[in-house]
Amino acid sequence: MKPQNLIALLLFIVGAVWALTRSEQSVRSIQKTYYSAISPFLKGGSGIETKASEFIKEAEHSQEWEAKYKLAKEELDKKRMEVAHLRKLELENARLSQALKFQQKAPFRVLAAKIIRRQPSTWWRTVTIDRGEKQDVGVQLPVLSPEGLVGKVDAPSENTSTVILLTDEKCQVSAKVDGTPEVGIVSGQRGLAGDSPSLRLRFLSKDAKIKAGMLVFTTGRGGLFPPDILLGTIKTFESGPLYGEALVKPAVDFAALHTVFVKIPKSPDSP
Amino acid sequence: MVQQFLPAISGLYGAHVLILPLVFLCCSVSVNFATMLLLAFICGFLWDAQHALGPQGGYPEIYADPVESLRFGYSIILYAMMGLLMQGIQPLFRKGKWHTSSILAGIAIFFYLFSEYLLINLVRGDFSFPPTAFYRIYLTSALTMLFSPLIFWLIFQLASACHHTIRYDGLKKEARYLD
Repeated sequence: MKPQNLIALLLFIVGAVWALTRSEQSVRSIQKTYYSAISPFLKGGSGIETKASEFIKEAEHSQEWEAKYKLAKEELDKKRMEVAHLRKLELENARLSQALKFQQKAPFRVLAAKIIRRQPSTWWRTVTIDRGEKQDVGVQLPVLSPEGLVGKVDAPSENTSTVILLTDEKCQVSAKVDGTPEVGIVSGQRGLAGDSPSLRLRFLSKDAKIKAGMLVFTTGRGGLFPPDILLGTIKTFESGPLYGEALVKPAVDFAALHTVFVKIPKSPDSP
Repeated sequence: MVQQFLPAISGLYGAHVLILPLVFLCCSVSVNFATMLLLAFICGFLWDAQHALGPQGGYPEIYADPVESLRFGYSIILYAMMGLLMQGIQPLFRKGKWHTSSILAGIAIFFYLFSEYLLINLVRGDFSFPPTAFYRIYLTSALTMLFSPLIFWLIFQLASACHHTIRYDGLKKEARYLD
């Protein structure tokens, strides 16, 4: 081996050992710096992405109407286009109204956030939202939607935050099965594909009387999530030698999520 | 930056196009050993800065069985291993057989993802390898490999714009197809 290659290899080993021995705090600090640096691009890119998808939708829409254009008058088409646009606005309005109602009804303080990036990594199920520490978003805060629990904040930076979804194996939630005394831990499953794969509910009693269709809620124990937030419905239950395990269909349609709500802790001066 | 806007394709088992590893692999076949190690360090560091997950949190008495994550910095080692694989076929690349490098880039991505998944299983225990995980690894490698000619072309354009000559014996006409 050439001397310069040997020196390069030694320097590389020193660098790799340095990186591998970083404490949790330094890793968080590195990530915060990294995300603060890229967040303007993320937000800008998200805007471009939205415009591009709107453009594609418009293009698809135009093609669809092209065939009808030959048959109908130009004025009629214009009216139809207007109606289509109004319907889109109506849908958006309904979605925003639902979000607003949730924000008003929630028994705790929530902050609405828009998803600006979905599942950027191969194995972790995460999304990025457009709210960060500047808007009081902190690490481990629960993220909700009107349908149920979405996940929790994993790495907040200044203006954006990474949210680990309920469908990830690392997002564990203390859960209870409605109508039974059963409690367990809900988490995602490793290596599964799809937008909303089933969740695992572990550590149930092996002789638990659990049936398909029963609702699963958060217990509020564990210090991470508020109680009585819907997680999903039981699909199947299997009794093991020590514990019972159930598969749970998530309440949230993760593919259709656009707006989420971060539960913000109450400030000391608030009533 | 481009990598930020390439989400998973849910119709293809959540497969991605991994631009950063691909750029690293295409560069690592065209640079010397020391530069490859430097690139492996930078790319692995950035990759982990973007993807590393934090601790479980919550009360340990409730979450008594926390799910472990891979240590920050593991990607640096994996990138270096992929880079070493690419360096092995550098003589072929220098003879102009860039297509071999393209195929090997796909194979290297496959081994990278496979090793990553095995490492996850190792630290978390309870070994599981569902077919969907294999399809995701396979499709991600295949999709990424398709982009490698484009990256090679960009590297050559960049080298020519910077008046840098990649030792590229394939430009010589003699005996190009006889090796």
